[in-house]
Amino acid sequence: MALQAYRHLLRSTRIAFAGDAPVLHAARAEARNGFRQNAALSAGSPELAEAVKHAEEVAQILRHNVVQGKKEGEDLYKLKIHEHTERGDNDTVKMPNGKSVVIDGKTCADR
Amino acid sequence: MFRTALLRSARSATSQVVRRTGAIARPVAPSSFVTKSQFAPSAFQAARCYSAASGLQKSEVEGRIVDLLKNFDKVTDPSKLSPTSHFANDLGLDSLDTVEVVMAIEEEFSIEIPDKEADAIHSVDKAVEYILAQPDGELFEMRVGDGGEAWPLNDGPRGVL
Repeated sequence: MALQAYRHLLRSTRIAFAGDAPVLHAARAEARNGFRQNAALSAGSPELAEAVKHAEEVAQILRHNVVQGKKEGEDLYKLKIHEHTERGDNDTVKMPNGKSVVIDGKTCADR
Repeated sequence: MFRTALLRSARSATSQVVRRTGAIARPVAPSSFVTKSQFAPSAFQAARCYSAASGLQKSEVEGRIVDLLKNFDKVTDPSKLSPTSHFANDLGLDSLDTVEVVMAIEEEFSIEIPDKEADAIHSVDKAVEYILAQPDGELFEMRVGDGGEAWPLNDGPRGVL
């Protein structure tokens, strides 16, 4: 369980911070520290389940809701939106059951 | 018959090209687990991806995984590294380290190992076995820019290494 969460988290850092080595390293160091700190938690304890859930949620946010941008010039930023990025507007954020909109080759305009 | 001869000569030509380039160029995108200082990024560098026409040889896969472990900072005793090393018993890695190693192997070979298979990889020979069992990717050549972005010379997929 915890190992799978760790793997998911590392994968998410790769998706979110691809091509940005310093941030990728920092994110992975942070993930490692977090897991090391909780390494002593005993199996089956509620704290452990809580920590694993936290890790999975962080992985989820990194994958779906973090987009990196690069300044391309005066007032111009290029965003790296990828196929895992959650895409929506003021209506879709209210969608029930945690449904989310993801990119499927369309642009934001043609929804 | 003529077609087979043509194919064969084409194949041997490809494998010669592959051989002449020597060691397969690796993606310049740095892995956070291992330091690859020997691959100084240049502005433009042609990269040949892991898939060669002849497929991966066992010795080559072993070499690349052992090299990767050599650069892994948790491996304190490189003399224990061998194609049969067990991550925990021989190299003293704990379970989190093992996850990192498997992740580094994924990045090295540009594949994604499903959770179930990844959990079963605990030694170098298991990893080699898994890599060799994978179907070959397509052969394509790419140019890699210094930002890590890559684009194909022919009409292969476009992506970021």
